[in-house]
Amino acid sequence: MFGRRRDRDRRSAAHVAQHAAAARDDRKVYSKRGRRLPGEQAVPNYTPSISARSIDGHLLRTGQEVYAWYRLAPQRWSFRSDSQRQDLIAAIAGQYAELQGRWMHLRVTNRPYPIRMWAEAHVHNAVRRLPDTPGTLSFDDYMVGEQQQLMGRSMAEKEVYLGVQVQTRNMMDRAVERAAPVLRKVFPDAVDAELVAIESEIDHLDQVIGSAGLEGRPATAEEMSWLMHRSCSLGLPAPRNLPAVPGAPWEPEDLASFTDAADFHQEPYAPTVTVRGRTGSNAGIKRHVAVLTVGLMHGLQIPEQDDPWVQRSDRLPAAVEWSARIYVRRPEEVSGELQRQMSKVRSQVRHYTDEHELDPPQSLARQASRVLEIDDEMTSGFTALGTRVRSWWRLAVSGPTEREALRLAQGLLDLYKPKVAIEHPEAQYAIAREFIPGEPLSASAYLRRGSVLWAASAVPTATAEVGDRRGILLGETVTATRRPVAWDPWMAQELRDSSGLTAMVAGLGAGKSFLGGGIVYKTLRAGAHWTLLDPSGPLAALCELPELKPYARPINLLNAQAGILNPYRVVAEPQLDHFMDEEDPERAWRRERALAAATRRRLVLDVLSGLLPFEVARLPQTRIVLLRAVRTVGGRPDAHPGQVFEALRRDASEHHEHAVVVADFLDEMRERMSLLIPEEDADPYNEARDDRLTVLTMAGLNLPKDGTGREHWTDAEALGVEMLNLAAWLTQRSIYERPKDLRKGVWIDEAFFLSEVPTGRVLMNRFARDSRKWNVRVLLSSQIPADFLKIQGFVTLLDSVFVGRLDDDQAQADALRLLKVPVGAGYEQVVASLGRRPGGVRTNLERDRAPRQFIFADGAGGVERVRIDFSGPHLEHLRNSLDTTPDALREGAESTEIEVSSPPQDPFAYAEQYSDEYDDELAADLEVGLTDELVDSAHGEGGNRRPGREGAA
Amino acid sequence: MRVRTDDEVYRVDAVWLGPPKATFPWRARYVAWGVGIVVFLLVTAVQRQVGFGFDFINTGWGFVITIALTRFICSRISHERPLSSVMTMWVRELTSPRETTSGRGGAASAARIRVNHQRPRKRPKKRAKRASAATPSQHRRQQDRRQKEVRGVRTPA
Repeated sequence: MFGRRRDRDRRSAAHVAQHAAAARDDRKVYSKRGRRLPGEQAVPNYTPSISARSIDGHLLRTGQEVYAWYRLAPQRWSFRSDSQRQDLIAAIAGQYAELQGRWMHLRVTNRPYPIRMWAEAHVHNAVRRLPDTPGTLSFDDYMVGEQQQLMGRSMAEKEVYLGVQVQTRNMMDRAVERAAPVLRKVFPDAVDAELVAIESEIDHLDQVIGSAGLEGRPATAEEMSWLMHRSCSLGLPAPRNLPAVPGAPWEPEDLASFTDAADFHQEPYAPTVTVRGRTGSNAGIKRHVAVLTVGLMHGLQIPEQDDPWVQRSDRLPAAVEWSARIYVRRPEEVSGELQRQMSKVRSQVRHYTDEHELDPPQSLARQASRVLEIDDEMTSGFTALGTRVRSWWRLAVSGPTEREALRLAQGLLDLYKPKVAIEHPEAQYAIAREFIPGEPLSASAYLRRGSVLWAASAVPTATAEVGDRRGILLGETVTATRRPVAWDPWMAQELRDSSGLTAMVAGLGAGKSFLGGGIVYKTLRAGAHWTLLDPSGPLAALCELPELKPYARPINLLNAQAGILNPYRVVAEPQLDHFMDEEDPERAWRRERALAAATRRRLVLDVLSGLLPFEVARLPQTRIVLLRAVRTVGGRPDAHPGQVFEALRRDASEHHEHAVVVADFLDEMRERMSLLIPEEDADPYNEARDDRLTVLTMAGLNLPKDGTGREHWTDAEALGVEMLNLAAWLTQRSIYERPKDLRKGVWIDEAFFLSEVPTGRVLMNRFARDSRKWNVRVLLSSQIPADFLKIQGFVTLLDSVFVGRLDDDQAQADALRLLKVPVGAGYEQVVASLGRRPGGVRTNLERDRAPRQFIFADGAGGVERVRIDFSGPHLEHLRNSLDTTPDALREGAESTEIEVSSPPQDPFAYAEQYSDEYDDELAADLEVGLTDELVDSAHGEGGNRRPGREGAA
Repeated sequence: MRVRTDDEVYRVDAVWLGPPKATFPWRARYVAWGVGIVVFLLVTAVQRQVGFGFDFINTGWGFVITIALTRFICSRISHERPLSSVMTMWVRELTSPRETTSGRGGAASAARIRVNHQRPRKRPKKRAKRASAATPSQHRRQQDRRQKEVRGVRTPA
């Protein structure tokens, strides 16, 4: 008893020793006693309970082998053509084939979406953000709401790691490692000799894994730590905080931080293994893990019909861990085995037919032909795609109770039915240990053999990534995986040097305004400045939001000061100080000024000829006299179209008479063009205001029906299109009034007119060129993608695209062209089905409030189907203000007697409602001459829909 | 692109139908014959050990038991789960760690630790001159040192 205690005391001495160190001064006196201290020997020897012994960089050493671990890059899968997908699979297969004679360990794990990190990045990125208005949703509350919205859902990001066997270790290596503490003092080179010797081998592997296909890069220390943690605590929730990663290699003792985090246990032949957390945030948490394995598999049509078979498990609403052991076989091993199998088949056939005079089973003939096929695959061709592998694929799902885990396991089984059998083997504990890097294979059951092509077609790295990690939250992806989508509209310009053009195409009611309004609201909060051109007007509701109200200004252009759309003023005059960073500022500024003047002349010419009756505008002499008059007036910013009329009258050429006719025509319309011609001494551009949000509306504008040729446009329609064009130029002007680096946004709704007017293309070019330089995001929305495609070279200028539901076949194909997604590969149906509720909705009296879906191409290569989700309770007021769907039962509608007295489709009701917004004279003019137009214009006002498009959509 | 595994090739059902021209009424795989022979030897050995004699009746019963056991074993194995891996998994099941229900350790008690308020210090040299007291004081110091040590507490090592 006593002796034992003394022994224990000696062990504790190691701990006491530190305290004793304080009394070092005494040691001189009691030198004899100091020597009696047990020193380091008292520390008990530690052997990790796992096979791994040390981790150096991305190298993991067990007692027997060295593995190099790589983190594989995610690969886009959806919205790619089959040939691209096949190329990817072939590239991965080629990489596997190069690893002949090696074992690989493939691990798929997941990392919860780091919402905290997103929030951090977002706040950090939100420079010059909107000051909070007291009594409204503050920025902090908004951020809390955004985070809570994500927290409610479990969205994990998939991480794929691949361990490749570098070489086996011999006795000498192990002995050196054991003697490392002593050897390091005596002969330090010997300790590192083992890893130094395999350096070239590792370089080779880095290169093989790093090339296109797998695109793996050596795992960092942090990633190794994460992988070890996730594997040693299989099925437990992700640790909230990982221990700090040491700068030095992990020694065996350090591995205890992984193994101590959890322990596994199971009852004999139990269907699950229990994992109990012991440290950190998981202490005391118990999870039941069901480990499954991939059984027999039918032939799969991988890119055409079936998903990559590992990626399929992403559809399960819970995280699935994968661990696959793959051995890439050498051809000589396989051919010997194939011969043996062949002779087995032959002897069986002989046994049946010759010795027993029986018919052999059909399967023997099939097997014989398959042997020949494989032999042929292996010997034909110059690529190594016929290389064979032996592999074991395990999956693990976990739940808080055994029942829950088994339910998920059953879910997986159902998910893979009927083409792939998923088996639930015994020895759960032993198989669960296989997930830990460095552990040996536990049992050889459920061996899957196949070609490298088959192994590559698993494509575990296929993901649904789109967007970035610091922008505003748009929603979540809805294809194979569910992950949140964040998008920073200024990242493209600031980091990727690409344009800031975004096209937004969707049919009626597909949620264009909702998406755009959400983007505007969220980016405004994060510090952007926006100018919106919304011809129909519902977006003006954004200005009424209490937190935006002090910084927002809605302008109804039709009701604005005269001269606000003066074509000479909507093109901004370049400022010299904007060109200071050029080589020759003076010269660049002059060039730019000349360009601005030319643009003005072009715009005036374009607008005036657009306003003339089609028959007149088409005459060559019209163009000649107009051109001459416009040139006479010049491109000064203080000119106005009235001067052009005078110049026309003064025309002294042989077309004088015609010039007077043209001037008369234009003068006739002068009253209606009051917005284009400023009154004397009342230039609306003299006062400058700095608003965060400016919404330009043109409620009551008369626009032509879709598909109507230019020759059939009425005067009012022609004027409407030209005014819209000028308003678009006006929004563009707002860019140049603000500092270059400031994040600015322009959203032009109903952007179809860009393809209708010749200056549309000029405007597009300006947007594309200046959006990067001036840090602008330009959103262009339309109901018909062909409107954009008509503008030459538009697709190449585009950065990102949102496509919502479109019903017309041609429109669907056009939308895919905008997305740069292969046309005719079956994606048209996807566009048609976006956000549609399945089942019988025809008889449903309730409104379809399901979140709308879009296909989102982020411009950085990601294309994914996303669900727009602004459903957080903190955004309720935003949702209400963006709700453009008419509702006769809404409280506000009841109060207006017009709504009560007549159905909402009644055009005259709308005309009456908006009549005060009309320019009086314009209204009078319309009433006198063109009653048929009145009906058109009335339609044009209602909501955000254009007449005629309803029929097309 | 149709991808499929090579598993079919390795699923050749190698059966022995019996000697040439004398087809058995059953079809058994070679592995079943192998298992059967081993099981028969084991059964016979057990019979001898238990004390059954080597006669026709006992051997007949031995055959019956062998067939039953062999059928049972063969129903557990397949191409997916060869005999060897079934045996391995069985061993793994037996050796996997179990949940420990009995507590280990228990509450630590510090009752047996003697605590002194002050550690003993060297006496001033004047007093040390007293030769007669030298031996007892040294003795006491050694005793004190032992008291200082912590006893009865399990160390976390």
